[in-house]
Amino acid sequence: MFGIPGAATLPLYDELLDSGIEHILVRHEQGAAHMADGYARIKKAPGMCIATSGAGATNLVTGIATAYLDSSPVIAITGQVPTTVLGSDGFQEADIFSLMMPITKHNFRVTDPSTLATDFRSAFRIATSGRCGPVHIDIPKDVLTREGDIPPRPTPMPISPMEPSPDEVLVAAKMLMQAERPLIMLGGGANWSGAGAEALALADQLAAPIVTTLMGKGTVPETHPLVLGMIGMHGRAAANYALENCDVMLVVGARFSDRTVGEPASCRMKVIHIDIDRTEMGKNVCPTLGITAEAKAAMSAISKAINLKVHSSNWSEASGEMIKRCACDIDVCEDPISPRKVIHELNSILPKDAIIVTEVGQCQMWAAHFLDIKDQRTFITSGGLGCMGFGLPAAIGAKFAAPDRKVIDIAGDGSFTMVCQELATAAKNDIPVAIALFNNSRLGMIKQHQRLFYGDRLTAQDLSGVDMVKLAEAFGAEAIRVEHHQDLTPALQQAIDSDRPCLVDIQINREEDIFPLTIRTAAGPTVHRGSCPYEGGC
Amino acid sequence: MEVISMLVKDEFGVMQRIMGEFTRKRINVETIVVGKCEVPGKARVVLSVISKEMADIAVERLGRLHDVEAVEIVEEPRQSAYALISTSKGWVGLIGSRDEVAEIIEKTEPEHYIKTVNAL
Repeated sequence: MFGIPGAATLPLYDELLDSGIEHILVRHEQGAAHMADGYARIKKAPGMCIATSGAGATNLVTGIATAYLDSSPVIAITGQVPTTVLGSDGFQEADIFSLMMPITKHNFRVTDPSTLATDFRSAFRIATSGRCGPVHIDIPKDVLTREGDIPPRPTPMPISPMEPSPDEVLVAAKMLMQAERPLIMLGGGANWSGAGAEALALADQLAAPIVTTLMGKGTVPETHPLVLGMIGMHGRAAANYALENCDVMLVVGARFSDRTVGEPASCRMKVIHIDIDRTEMGKNVCPTLGITAEAKAAMSAISKAINLKVHSSNWSEASGEMIKRCACDIDVCEDPISPRKVIHELNSILPKDAIIVTEVGQCQMWAAHFLDIKDQRTFITSGGLGCMGFGLPAAIGAKFAAPDRKVIDIAGDGSFTMVCQELATAAKNDIPVAIALFNNSRLGMIKQHQRLFYGDRLTAQDLSGVDMVKLAEAFGAEAIRVEHHQDLTPALQQAIDSDRPCLVDIQINREEDIFPLTIRTAAGPTVHRGSCPYEGGC
Repeated sequence: MEVISMLVKDEFGVMQRIMGEFTRKRINVETIVVGKCEVPGKARVVLSVISKEMADIAVERLGRLHDVEAVEIVEEPRQSAYALISTSKGWVGLIGSRDEVAEIIEKTEPEHYIKTVNAL
C-alpha cells in the first residue's frame, strides 16, 4: 500500500502497524496512486493507495483518473472528516466522494463500521471483474474509531472468463475467412488478457498482419514477421498503411481512440469488435459485428472456428514488404545524441522480461514508436489520460510487483520533474529503478506542435536550468550524465544493473522531433514525415 | 420521447452517479420521477429522453453502474402520463395515456414551455 498519512487516517495507520500490511510512505499522493497503478499492471492484481481527507485526497485524483482511463485495478482509500462534521466545510474536508465518482468504476462512502468489510470485499471484486478499473473508498474518521461487526467472509465465487456466443464466433470466422486483406488490431484489453498467443495463432491461420494500439504494445512480440507495430498518430508508417488498406479488421480490446484511428469516419473497413465492456460497442466506430467477451476466450474460439490455413497472400507479402521498408536505421552515431540512438541501445541491452515504463510526451512516443517490446504487459504507459508524471512512480510500483525483474523509466525532463520527489521514495526504500532521462530541457511535444501547427511560434516550452544529476543525487539516487553517444551503452547498463535507483541524464538533441506524425481524417491521412524516408502510401 | 425505468439503491449519491452518466454522454433528461418503490431499500427512477438512440446509450451505460440493479426502456405504448403546460388560456393540467397526453400537448401548441411531463 502506497500513501501519506494525515489526521483523518491516523487511526488506520495506527492499526496498520500491527497488520502485517506493508506501507510505503511516498512524497506526494499522486505518486502513491501511480505506484499502486504500476503495481497493479504488473501484478495483474489490485494495487492500493491511501491519502488523508481534503488535499491529500484531491492529490490522488490525477492518478486515479489515469488508472480509470487505462482500466487498471487500483483501490484508493481516502480519509474523511468525521460524519458529525461532514458537509460543514470542516478542516481538510473535500467532497472527494463526488470528485472520484466519474473517474472510478464505483466508489463507497462508508458511514457504518459494520459495512466496512463488505464494502472492501465488494471494492476488490468490482476492481478486478470484467473490465478492470479503480474503486475508491472514502472513510470518515469516526468510522475508523467506532466498533463494528465484521461479517464472515463469504466463499469467493469463481470468476469465469466471459465467453463469446457461438453464433457470433461463426459470423466472425466467416467474415475473416472471406476477407481479402484481414488485419488484427490489439488494444489494452488484449494485452491485459494475455491473448498474444491466440492472436498470433489467428494471424498465422489467416496470414493476417497484426497492429497494436499504444496500450496493446507488447501483446505480441514486435520482432515477429506478421507484427507491423503500433498504429496511430505516432505509430509506424507500415502499421498505419495496413489500417488504411485492410478490408476486414478484427479489433480486440481497443476503443478506437482519436489518437489511434483519428476521425471515426476514416474507418471504412468492416470491423469485428471484441470487447469485455458492452458499452465500447459502437462508442466511437460502429462495428459490423460486436462481440462482448474476454479477449483471450474470444480469439481462441474464433481461431478454432476457422478451418483454413492461408500460407501467404498478396496482402501478407505486402505486409512483409511494408515492415522491411519501415525498418529504418536508428543507430544514429552523432552528437548531440539522437533520442533514436538511445532507443537503439535499449533495444540491445534490455532483457526480454524487462519492464519498460514511460513518462508522457516525446519520450513516450520515441519509446512507443521505436522500442521493440517482446513480451506481454512489459510496456507500461499512460495511454488514455496521457498523464505527465506517471512514469517514475509507476516504475517504483512495478518494481515492488516484480522485484526480480529490471525496471526502467523512459523519461522526459518535463514529465520527470512533475514527480521527481519520488526518487526519494525509491532511494529510501532501496528500489533500484533505472531512469533513462531524454533531457532536451523542453516540453518537447509542445515545442513540436508549436513548430508544426503554430507557425514555429515557440512559447512556454523552455525548461532549461535544472541540473538533473545534482537533483537525483540530492534525493539519494545515483546519477550519470551522458553527452556523447559512445557513452550511452555503459551508462544505461550501469543504471540497469545498479542496486540503487539510478538516473541517466542523457543530453539529447534539442531539435529532434518524433516523426512520422499521422493525422487521419475522413478525407484521408495527412503525414508529417520529418526525416522518415518511408513512402508507403499512408 | 423514450421512457427509461430503473431500480436503484435507495441511498445518498445514487442520483448523482446516475446523472453523471447522462452528463458524460451529453444527454438531457426531459422529465424525471424518483421515489421509494415496492422493493424495500430500493427506489425507482423513471425518466425520459428525447430519442431512442439516447435511450439505448443511457441504458447501456446505466447497466454498468453498481447502484443500478435493473434498467430498461419502457416499451408499452399505453402508460399514464401527466403534464402541466402553459397556454394562452393559462395553466392546464393533463392526465391520460402517454399518447393521449402527447397528442393534447401537440394540439394545444404551448406558447411558453412544458412545465412537466412524466411517464409513470
